[in-house]
Amino acid sequence: MSEIAQNATRRLRSIVIAGGGTPGWMAAAALSRVIADGSCAITLVESNAAHAVGVEGGSLPSLRAFHGLLGIEERDFVSAARATIKLGVRFRDWRTIGDTFLHPFGSYGVDINHDLIQAYWLKCRQEGRGSPLEEWSVTGLAASLGRFGVPPPKDSSALRHLSYAYHLDATLYSRFLRAYAEQRGVRRIEGDVAGATIDTRGRIESLRLADGRAIGGDFFVDCSGDDALIIAGALQSGYEDWSQWLPCDRAVTAPCAGAGHVAPVTLVTACEAGWQWRIPLQHGAGNGYAYSSAHLSDGEAAARLLERLEGAPLAELRLLRFRAGRRTQAWVGNCLALGSAAGFLGLLESTGMHLVQTGLGRLFGLFPDRDFDPAVSAEYNRLTALEYQRARDFLILHYAGSERDEAPFWRQCRGMELPETLAYKRDLFTRTGRIAALEEETFPPGSWLAIYAGLRLWPQRHEPVVDIFTPGAAAARFEAMRQKIRAAVETLPVVASGDWERYHSSSRE
Amino acid sequence: MAGSAIRRIVIVGGGSAGWMAAAALSVVVGRRVDEIVLVESSDIGTIGVGEATLPTLRNFNAMLGLDEIEFVRRTQGTFKLGIEFQGWNPRRTFFHGFSDFGPDVRGVSPHQLWLKMRAAGDESSYADYSIATAAAALGRFGPPLADRSSVLGSYSYAFQFDATAYAAYLRTLAEQRGVKRIDGRIVEVRLRPDDGFIDAVLLQDGRAVSGDLFIDCSGFAALLIERTLHAGFEDWSRWLPCDRALAVACAPTGEPAAFTRSTAHRAGWQWRIPLQQRTGNGHVFCSSRISEDEAAATLLANLDGEALGAPRLLRFTAGRRRESWKRNCVALGLAGGFLEPLESTSIHLVESGIGRLVELFPDQGFEPKLAEEYNRLMARSYESIRDFIILHYCACGREGELWDYCRKMPLPDGLRHQIELFEASGVVALYDSGAFAEPSWVSLFLGLGVFPRRHDPMADLIEEAGLSRELQRRARIVSGAAQSLPKHGTFIDTHCRATA
Repeated sequence: MSEIAQNATRRLRSIVIAGGGTPGWMAAAALSRVIADGSCAITLVESNAAHAVGVEGGSLPSLRAFHGLLGIEERDFVSAARATIKLGVRFRDWRTIGDTFLHPFGSYGVDINHDLIQAYWLKCRQEGRGSPLEEWSVTGLAASLGRFGVPPPKDSSALRHLSYAYHLDATLYSRFLRAYAEQRGVRRIEGDVAGATIDTRGRIESLRLADGRAIGGDFFVDCSGDDALIIAGALQSGYEDWSQWLPCDRAVTAPCAGAGHVAPVTLVTACEAGWQWRIPLQHGAGNGYAYSSAHLSDGEAAARLLERLEGAPLAELRLLRFRAGRRTQAWVGNCLALGSAAGFLGLLESTGMHLVQTGLGRLFGLFPDRDFDPAVSAEYNRLTALEYQRARDFLILHYAGSERDEAPFWRQCRGMELPETLAYKRDLFTRTGRIAALEEETFPPGSWLAIYAGLRLWPQRHEPVVDIFTPGAAAARFEAMRQKIRAAVETLPVVASGDWERYHSSSRE
Repeated sequence: MAGSAIRRIVIVGGGSAGWMAAAALSVVVGRRVDEIVLVESSDIGTIGVGEATLPTLRNFNAMLGLDEIEFVRRTQGTFKLGIEFQGWNPRRTFFHGFSDFGPDVRGVSPHQLWLKMRAAGDESSYADYSIATAAAALGRFGPPLADRSSVLGSYSYAFQFDATAYAAYLRTLAEQRGVKRIDGRIVEVRLRPDDGFIDAVLLQDGRAVSGDLFIDCSGFAALLIERTLHAGFEDWSRWLPCDRALAVACAPTGEPAAFTRSTAHRAGWQWRIPLQQRTGNGHVFCSSRISEDEAAATLLANLDGEALGAPRLLRFTAGRRRESWKRNCVALGLAGGFLEPLESTSIHLVESGIGRLVELFPDQGFEPKLAEEYNRLMARSYESIRDFIILHYCACGREGELWDYCRKMPLPDGLRHQIELFEASGVVALYDSGAFAEPSWVSLFLGLGVFPRRHDPMADLIEEAGLSRELQRRARIVSGAAQSLPKHGTFIDTHCRATA
């Protein structure tokens, strides 16, 4: 091996992104920010007709770090994407009809590590001294009390554990990122991507547009959505179908007029053949019904959604089709797929934008040159496969753990055979009280605990780690922690999700 | 459903593993069990040559409430900033230190920054950015500052000590905390007829020591886990063909080095572990490629001072117990597996075995999932260390049969990918539960002469002149900081000189 690096002559000169939408413009924005020296031309091709799938969606808290990387101010983003606050997901009728539980963002507890909190909470529950799990989390308590305030930077109080994400309008968000990217030199070409030309080494030479134009480049990012025009169409990367575990394959959506004062969470209600969401918007609510087409017709799904809206519909119904699964190789040669071209885990728990973001992060950590060494894409694909599988398992747990049995959809979910990795985790928890956090997890142990507890998948024991305290000492310590959480959360104003004026105007220290 | 609590823990075998387990369990679960018993025979020697550790031992000692200075004093201890590798790369001696190479710049790892500047003609060494390397080279040591943003707070350290003395020290502590020591030779292990769990160990004098949970620290004998429970052994000698070691202490010469030295030989390598009043040495070799006599001659020819006694021979096979937890028995130390001491990982593996046992502490129901999780985690730790050690062999540029074999042998998939990725891009692939972080892998790759074909293209987005100034500034700070530390010998004399 040579000790002289070949960098200068092998750098990427151009990157072409196939497809706009949120993934495409997230990629364009991030690339234009990171490669800011003009050494690499960035082009995005999108058709005018393909307006982004305009559902109001949720994000995970990581989106704030993405904005940090881009140098985007929260207030600019909020007004452009009409974003509202999301502190987590409230599940209704999920385990059984009439039951509800919360999956708050962030961690449980303050100044005590998760293992100990989990063990102690489970121990209390076992001994019949349980208190609602959400009261053990700053974010959880804020969500259930409907309180929120943007924590000041370097806050040293319990409020530093307040974690939040957004609900936003994906179409407006793409438009916002487009303006950001174009300002930083990204060139947008309007056209329909029809396919790609491949050279003799199996690399993409150029995108072929429907009108005959060819757009050449060194590296291609496939953001063409389900069609996966390049990664699958041209490069034949396969798709691992996970619909046996993630049964929803359609969604019908409609925004509706405001339903009054709404808590800053996504509300998810289990229904006959899937689940319905309600997302607080700045003016009104976003709604949708994710369902399994094998169990419900499109027409019926639409009717049910309309029936259950809490206000007058504000737009026509939209139908989305998808298939849960993962591209077997998200990076092949000189092409990387992001967004649903790389895989889709359904709409539950809002993994979409997050997975685009982590994909971009990995790309920057493994940035290619024109040699496109297969070891580099192999590492990308290894990590991506793990990440998708971990997140998939977390979602499957939601479906498989429901006790609802009045509808065929839920009976099928209850009866499904779990993937080995999830079966291992669930058995470990239910038999030992331990959460196995594996590498590349999207959801931290606190999130797993929220779902296990919400589904009442109780362990047969608590972890012995908590027994190092005498019972009195433990009770005092955890009670003090709960009070600290409550006191901190009660300093926050009571708000609705889109109440930005008040989030920032609070004068807490 | 859950069974009743464990009441009696029986540890079989003294030595460092046994007494580490006894001390730790007496602190962590002592309150919850009726009795912790350790059975050892004063006839059976323990394998207590000079031992070096990883920095994690500090956490273990802190958990026990040990006073570090007292610990060092009682174990002939010295401080360790890393390992010096001589002869592994025929072109240069290199160091694997317990510090990184500085912070990232715009998300780009420091070794990538160095590779970039090197491509631009900079002739500095990446070692110039490692405070542990710089201090060790100057023979200096002082404990790091609490402020991690300071270069003097950015390194860690481990120890070099007499493991027998450590075991004795822990024994005092454990006995104070109620651990009962039974001196006796085990002649039989009695199983419960219904489920095959261990019921008791029977001693030569007729006593039976019964318990609920048994910890096998019987060393290579693996009395409970293998001879009794047949947990199975995964043999890794196709990757780690060394199977013998000859160990001897020698008289010290001058101040003790604040590092362990590993010197590659024709068919193996030699350690040098400086203690306060003697130096531990050992030659690890492959018996099919060199005779014991030759190996002994090599060892003795490469001592710093006069040999204290004749070399002692150890035989081993690299590998891991398939189930280090089986039924009601958990194996720690050599009973659980063996990896040669090239990266001083033996004590670390005992620590993590104990830590995980505590986390997964069973009750009388012995939920099989606990053992399964324990074995999964231990397998990953062992494998990650195994692969790191294999890298030393397979990327070594020495001549000779052993080295030729190692360069050509088929590697474990994970390691092969790590090497290919590093050669392609300078990126280090890290796996779950890996014992070594990026700076360690970088130290070994670059030290052995495994260079990437390119540096991170992201490094090219950083303005070159500014980066060059920043790296020069860092090297100056590292050098100045290293010189500000006391001499290692002076530090020991001032704080923790052994009284014996």
